[in-house]
Amino acid sequence: MKRSKILISQALLTLKENVERTGDPLGFRRPYWNKWAEELNLPREGKTILLTARMYQMLPYVIQTTGLVASAKPLLAIKGLPKTLAMANRLVGETVIRLKARGEEAIRQKGENALKGIVAALSAVGERPAYLYEAEPYSGVLLYDLGLEKDIAPHIHKVYASLKSWDIEQIITVDPHTTFMMRKIYPKYIENYNIQVRHYLEILSEKTGILRDVSPQGLPEEIVIHDSCVMTRDLGIIEQARNVASSLGIYLLEPKNTKLNTACCGGPVEYAFPDLSRQISSIRIRELASVCKNIIVTCPICLTNLTRYEQELGVRVWDMGELLFFACNSP
Amino acid sequence: MDVIETDTAKDILLEKTAKCRGCRFCVDVCPTYQASDGVESFSAYGRMQILRRLLLGILGFDDSFTYVLYSCVQCKRCEVICKSKGQALDICQIIQLGRSLLSRNLVIGNSNEKI
Repeated sequence: MKRSKILISQALLTLKENVERTGDPLGFRRPYWNKWAEELNLPREGKTILLTARMYQMLPYVIQTTGLVASAKPLLAIKGLPKTLAMANRLVGETVIRLKARGEEAIRQKGENALKGIVAALSAVGERPAYLYEAEPYSGVLLYDLGLEKDIAPHIHKVYASLKSWDIEQIITVDPHTTFMMRKIYPKYIENYNIQVRHYLEILSEKTGILRDVSPQGLPEEIVIHDSCVMTRDLGIIEQARNVASSLGIYLLEPKNTKLNTACCGGPVEYAFPDLSRQISSIRIRELASVCKNIIVTCPICLTNLTRYEQELGVRVWDMGELLFFACNSP
Repeated sequence: MDVIETDTAKDILLEKTAKCRGCRFCVDVCPTYQASDGVESFSAYGRMQILRRLLLGILGFDDSFTYVLYSCVQCKRCEVICKSKGQALDICQIIQLGRSLLSRNLVIGNSNEKI
């Protein structure tokens, strides 16, 4: 709790500067978000695009960044050091975080497989969205969550102008946070907002009959579902994930707190308060693990925060996209 | 969208937080309350009361209150129970608006500013 004011102040300042400077919350200039799609050769133009908004791709870097924040916290009391740290972040932050993130191969692989699985499943039901590759923007959700509503306005206008300049009419999103921003928050900032926003599970759940044609080898027979808070309580996307998992032949189990009453994974406060985040996630993962050792999530933040317990508790945390990846790529 | 100006935001927050009937049903379901072994300041109810007193100038803005307000995970579980008890306060929106008032000061380095 000590130094929270200066910690939050520094986090807000760094985020704001990063987004203003580079359009990216991590402040990275070199694209890290398009590598997963390099071999897929997705069309780069189209009225409908897949918008990952970099969420799955930034997971290895987020883990490193929160680690660095935690280690720098004791130093924040030293006069003048916060500003020095901010400058260090600008000068060498990208290089250091990129290097350290190489150790996070497991979560990187999960994220990449999830995105590839989503694309494969969409393709199986006849949806072939374009992907903007290096031009793909970040939604700005973290700034919004932290109360930087005024500061986020220029970023939102910039992103929307870019999307309209490419004649985009429909966005297919892959995570709840971006879906929430693009569907509920952007229209508050943009007059006559006219981009249709659909989450991939909404599309797949309408066509689950086609998904039955894929032959899911090596998938768990039963799995317990962890609903994302944003997905259920903000977006009302609840049954869609269940329909899709069931269509893959997986038997779904419900934990004690589920659907509209789902419990948080602790992810949203990881950026500044990792101890609290871990206490919350520890409660939730034990609740899930008591039902089944295979756990399914539909959010990259939940994925990162619950995956950390895989070894300790002997569980396997699957993203829905991963299940689709293995289902669509099984022989 | 027009971002809500500071004075308007304060009025909105005072009006909304006054509607809380203090039934405390939102306390037990809050993940940060559970994780803190039952400290009421880390619940939705606790946060709303702290925010109200910060706005009224009864409390001063310090490290612990910063922690309390920014540690809300915005999961909206409190809103589900609030609605089920017939009140339906937008608790997370209230906390979010409180944060936006704080963030405006904190982001420009005014870590000693009052809310």
